Amino acid sequence: MDGDSAHSMEAEREMTRLWRTFRTVYELLADRGYEVSDNELLLPLEDFRAKYADPLGYPDRTKMKIQARPTENMKMKYTALPTKANPNPQPDCGTIYVDFCPDSSGVGTKQVRAFNHLVDENNFHTGIFITQTPISPSAVRLLSGVPGRICEHFQEQDLLVNITRHELVPKHVLLSPEEKAKLLERYRLKESQLPRIQISDPVARYLGLRRGQVVKIIRKSETAGRYASYRWVI
Amino acid sequence: MAQQGPNHPLKTSLPETYAAVNAQQPPPSYLYPTQEEQDRYLAGRPGATQQHLEVALQHAQQIQTQKDAEDAILNRILELIDLPSSPTADPATPSQEDTVKLKYSLAPFRPSDYDNLILERNFEDLCGYALCPRKHRKQATGPRGGFQFKYGPKGSGPGGRGRSVDIVSQDRIEKWCSDACAERALWIRVQLSEKPVWERRAGDTRGTTILLLEEARAKRLKAPAATSSVSSVVDDLQSMGLGNRDRSGELALERGDSSLIRPDGRVDVNIRENQRGPQQVAGAPQLRPEDANGGSIEGYVPRERRGADQDGDIDLLDQI
Repeated sequence: MDGDSAHSMEAEREMTRLWRTFRTVYELLADRGYEVSDNELLLPLEDFRAKYADPLGYPDRTKMKIQARPTENMKMKYTALPTKANPNPQPDCGTIYVDFCPDSSGVGTKQVRAFNHLVDENNFHTGIFITQTPISPSAVRLLSGVPGRICEHFQEQDLLVNITRHELVPKHVLLSPEEKAKLLERYRLKESQLPRIQISDPVARYLGLRRGQVVKIIRKSETAGRYASYRWVI
Repeated sequence: MAQQGPNHPLKTSLPETYAAVNAQQPPPSYLYPTQEEQDRYLAGRPGATQQHLEVALQHAQQIQTQKDAEDAILNRILELIDLPSSPTADPATPSQEDTVKLKYSLAPFRPSDYDNLILERNFEDLCGYALCPRKHRKQATGPRGGFQFKYGPKGSGPGGRGRSVDIVSQDRIEKWCSDACAERALWIRVQLSEKPVWERRAGDTRGTTILLLEEARAKRLKAPAATSSVSSVVDDLQSMGLGNRDRSGELALERGDSSLIRPDGRVDVNIRENQRGPQQVAGAPQLRPEDANGGSIEGYVPRERRGADQDGDIDLLDQI
């Protein structure tokens, strides 16, 4: 019986950890601007357990697949400004797909190839691959090499807590191309004259920023109340 | 200068001449945009010249080469995971076909790429040596990342007594199916070149001539004792055919004098003589009247050379 209870304790622990990751994923989707309902955002642990536990009490990752569509607001932000060559630009965003990898170790090119294939086959615009352990360097290259699609990778422990909710992390807001053009005109800048933020920055990864976009970072300031700065994603 | 043949394009720093010459001679690379595309690009940018575009394209090509090479390496890793072709292959006597494939695929690898291959093979539950079909070792006991004692053969200890003991991390043991395979795989690893493939030169044989451990051992047994008589050195030199004109092109390629993408060289060097007109010929210096006393020093005339009209304010201090 003792071994049994230790077993269930471990299952409970893993379940709770994964529930927190799962909730952060929904928060991430909502922050990026995808359609996410309040029920999904505030999913209680009991419901999560009822839905995704296997008979032994361990989480069943193969069931945990998420799809979300972009909101109108997000589409607007991802639509380039019309030019002469392209007077009617289409938004560069689409359905996102999140997959949890069930393998507990040794995630390499095999799993990533299967994931890439799935994203490609179902015509998802963006894919997020979540694993329990780090993936191999060649798998990272393979994941980023899908033409025309954006595939990202997170580890479960990276999403255990939502870093953007921490009090020391200022609010990052993505600017639409129109807002960016206005900003550059107002300050008479070229975009290369803005301060920069790396694409591998944790918050940039969280928001799924792309090269060339501009984020507005709003900090609290003791002297000025609110202080906004702008960064160019490189 | 302008009469040079089509094989020797005029190398010049004058933008107009450069554009004219390049119009006659399309660049050879398949990656290159056509002249119309280049013109169209330049038309929208008043500050840019053909030369700027050339430099930008040169860099773009280098980056593209690098990306292509990395993609090729990734593809080869994916292919090498599936080796050997038969599940009963013996790593000590690999099939000819697999050996050729392995050697060919490993040519652009760096040791770090090779480590990635080993990692990927282990993820597939295979021994890290690419020609071995067996599973890699797995220690059942203990958590991952532990250490193990590894005992050498009898008589390998200090002073020829007892056994030597190594403390080896478990990951390093678990990469292979056996110590023999570990030796084979690491033997290949030390032959790979550290230089990334896009920086290697044409004559760089390191990394392209890979020997398997078995082949190297057979070769060492067969090789006779080294002879270094004068005649053998002379024979070797003659067989290289240094004076052969046909080979000089190859040698130039080895030195890196020309690349496949830009046969004209990276930088366009032009020697332009200064034009000298007849009026610009400098004459010999002539004596002017004011130079009789030595003249001025950058406009300052020392007191003792000054004329009589300034006699009144001679400083007394100078004469003391």
